[in-house]
Amino acid sequence: MNPESPPVPLEHPAGPLAGYRVLDFADEKGQLCARILGELGADVIKVEPPRDGDPTRQNGPFFKGETGPDTSIYWWTMNAGKRSITLQPRLEAGRQILRRLIAVSDIIIETNMPGEAAPLGLDYPSVSAANPSAILVSITNFGQTGPYAKWHATDIVGQAMGGLMYLNGDDEHGPVRVTAPQAYAQANFQAAVGAMIALYARGVNNGIGQHVDVSMQEAVANAMDNAQQIWDIRRINASGPGIHRNNNGVRGARYLFETADGWLVALQVGGLIGPGANAIIDWLAESGEARGLDSPEWRARLTSMQPLPPEDTRYVEETLAAFLRTRKKEELVAEAQRRGAGWAPVLSPREIVESHHLAARDYWVRVHHEDIGESFIYPGAPFKLGETPWKQRGRAPHIGEHNAAVYGELLGIDAAELRRLKLKMVV
Amino acid sequence: MSDSLQKPFAGIRVADFAWVGVGPIVSKYLADHGAEVVRIESSTYPEALRRVGPFVDDVPGVDRSGYYANFNSSKRGITVNLKHPRGPELIKRFIATCDVVTESFTPGTMAKFGLDYESLRQLRPDLLMISMPLYGQTGPWSSYMGYGHVLQAAAGYNHMTGWPDQPPIGTGVAYTDFLVPHLAATALIAALDYRRRTGKGQYIDFGQMEAAIHGLGTAILDWTANGHEQIRLGNHDMEAAPHNAYRCRDGRWVVLACATEKHWEGLKAALGRPEWCDMDRMRRRWQRINELKEIDRHLSFWFEDFTRRGDEPALQAEEGVEGPPVRKFTTEEVVQLMQSFGVPCGIVQSPEAMHADPQLAHRGHYWKLQHPVMGLRAYDGPSFRLSKTPAELTKAAPCLGEDNEYVYKEIVGLSDEEFIELLADGAFE
Repeated sequence: MNPESPPVPLEHPAGPLAGYRVLDFADEKGQLCARILGELGADVIKVEPPRDGDPTRQNGPFFKGETGPDTSIYWWTMNAGKRSITLQPRLEAGRQILRRLIAVSDIIIETNMPGEAAPLGLDYPSVSAANPSAILVSITNFGQTGPYAKWHATDIVGQAMGGLMYLNGDDEHGPVRVTAPQAYAQANFQAAVGAMIALYARGVNNGIGQHVDVSMQEAVANAMDNAQQIWDIRRINASGPGIHRNNNGVRGARYLFETADGWLVALQVGGLIGPGANAIIDWLAESGEARGLDSPEWRARLTSMQPLPPEDTRYVEETLAAFLRTRKKEELVAEAQRRGAGWAPVLSPREIVESHHLAARDYWVRVHHEDIGESFIYPGAPFKLGETPWKQRGRAPHIGEHNAAVYGELLGIDAAELRRLKLKMVV
Repeated sequence: MSDSLQKPFAGIRVADFAWVGVGPIVSKYLADHGAEVVRIESSTYPEALRRVGPFVDDVPGVDRSGYYANFNSSKRGITVNLKHPRGPELIKRFIATCDVVTESFTPGTMAKFGLDYESLRQLRPDLLMISMPLYGQTGPWSSYMGYGHVLQAAAGYNHMTGWPDQPPIGTGVAYTDFLVPHLAATALIAALDYRRRTGKGQYIDFGQMEAAIHGLGTAILDWTANGHEQIRLGNHDMEAAPHNAYRCRDGRWVVLACATEKHWEGLKAALGRPEWCDMDRMRRRWQRINELKEIDRHLSFWFEDFTRRGDEPALQAEEGVEGPPVRKFTTEEVVQLMQSFGVPCGIVQSPEAMHADPQLAHRGHYWKLQHPVMGLRAYDGPSFRLSKTPAELTKAAPCLGEDNEYVYKEIVGLSDEEFIELLADGAFE
């Protein structure tokens, strides 16, 4: 093999899921789920419509801003290390091939609107007829059935209807979504758990397959912290606290502060209010910036856990804010941690990539895109398994890049037959 | 579940040392699908969430926190004093009967009590163990403390949340606590399946920050490949317009997104094709992204003009305008209208609205479980329905040390006399 053009995907026989096969028909709600299973060793085949390929190849941002089927940064991120084939399941000939593919696969991931999978042969009755052991993972906006089952949604609708957005934002501006799409991320990650549980259930139940029905709305609902219980128990609606914390549904202490070079978060005013307050008070006192908070009276009040009147809270917050404003965030965090306070810096994507901690853990991987002659840094192992390591498996595939390999080796379709299928727009 | 099928994790026993959010959410998946999960706690230092509310009747107590309860359905609970001379030994005898150990302490804590993986695998060669601190087992930040509220900052979520000219406010929740457990559970169950097939256990070093980065969408590669640093955009989106939250007359907010031409055509039809949206400079998606402010202005007015409070009439005459009264929509009706034209749209639902949501009720998302101290309380179920081996939340969260007698006598094998002697000596505190 020419080392300059590594195969996509890189082989991964040491992964815990090596030997399993996944068919990926998913959009934004399931592509990352499939990628994770691939990085655990499964053979993941992305199935795309013939000619133009998957519609999400049109999702921005694009490499150097240039649109095209192979330049989507979205596509690169979500489909790295998969194989790609083209197939048209709207044609009967395509569905016949699909049934043969399902027969040699373990997990099928689809994200069609409920009711729209059946004409494609991707509903559970069709899948289980082709392979009773197959696990069909259907990831939809609101689930397969129910009053909102056919509602349209994108990420922001998921974040809103799933309750997260209400908890996020501030009084002045209203609710806000996390700009990096979290309804999609939650649906992908939780679907992976559902797929794994179904896979394990198959192993202990004589090979039964089943249907895993995932709701993006519910996936977001599981990210509401303790707000559900605050409503259930206290009948209080927690809402967006801005730079403060929510404490049991009511606005708590400020937790976000500006420093000389950006922002940091300090738990409970960095321990200035709470049982650990003395460590931070000492620090301020040593720097001569305690503004009287190091008096025995203040120390007693700040460590007592009794609520402070608003003007005192403001004085404490202003004291800490003034101290932090003249110093650098990573140095502050290092010193706070040394003193036993759980602070962290607010990091941007660039600062995360430049993190010395992640570098020390050898986190990042460099992925070669031999087709454009460059390589780029990708996120590394989300978990380090001692015996069966995670592995990044190379760049995302081109449209139908693996047609010959998959159709040939897996289904025994020869080159001439593949050409015929291509002419008929089946592949 | 049909009678002949067993629950996925039936027969799997888990020693769960994990605490707060991440670890307990991982083991909740196992417990709700049939594993015997035993939370191992201390009554001298009760775990953080037992000390954080909401508490039933607003009365603090280790067995009264809804926060703790929600992540610990279907589990048993014991207490141990690892500083008691016999504490570590008792726990090791228990672990020898376990398949999985989970923990989320600062690195080194388990080793201090002889409970590190290398020691434990001597007791049980096929043991599977996962450690889930914020920053992993090694590296300069590995000893750093914190919770999801601060990890979301280090992992990029604060930077990506809020308005571009406003502070990086973060998500309002301890966000990564509810994101990374799903990746940890995926890895753990994959490793469990590998163990089922090969008999081999292993150790998983899970650093929450490293997992959380995978939820940032395209932000990392946009930087490493393009040198473009993404930032929070309020409710806007780099790829879609309109894309925002709009306030309705009753004070609630509705979100609306047009990511495709089909969505945009649907919106135009739903609005009755007002002039502004048929203008030339609104024709293509990238043009509309440029016209974002203009579109938001029109839509904000529309939501103000055409929505009504629940107690206002559906048909309202417009002041100073001749002609028939105008149709006004409640917040629910606006969403119905948009959805009927194929426009992604929804209400920003409050916790109260979530509990009354007919779709979540249809899915049975909230399980009502009876707790001896807390009474009947709502618990979150998983976001997926397995058609043949579904989740079953078998019981409410354990009270502190609820299963000491069962675990120490039935599983560890202490005699009645030993148990009472150790109890009196503080071994279970």
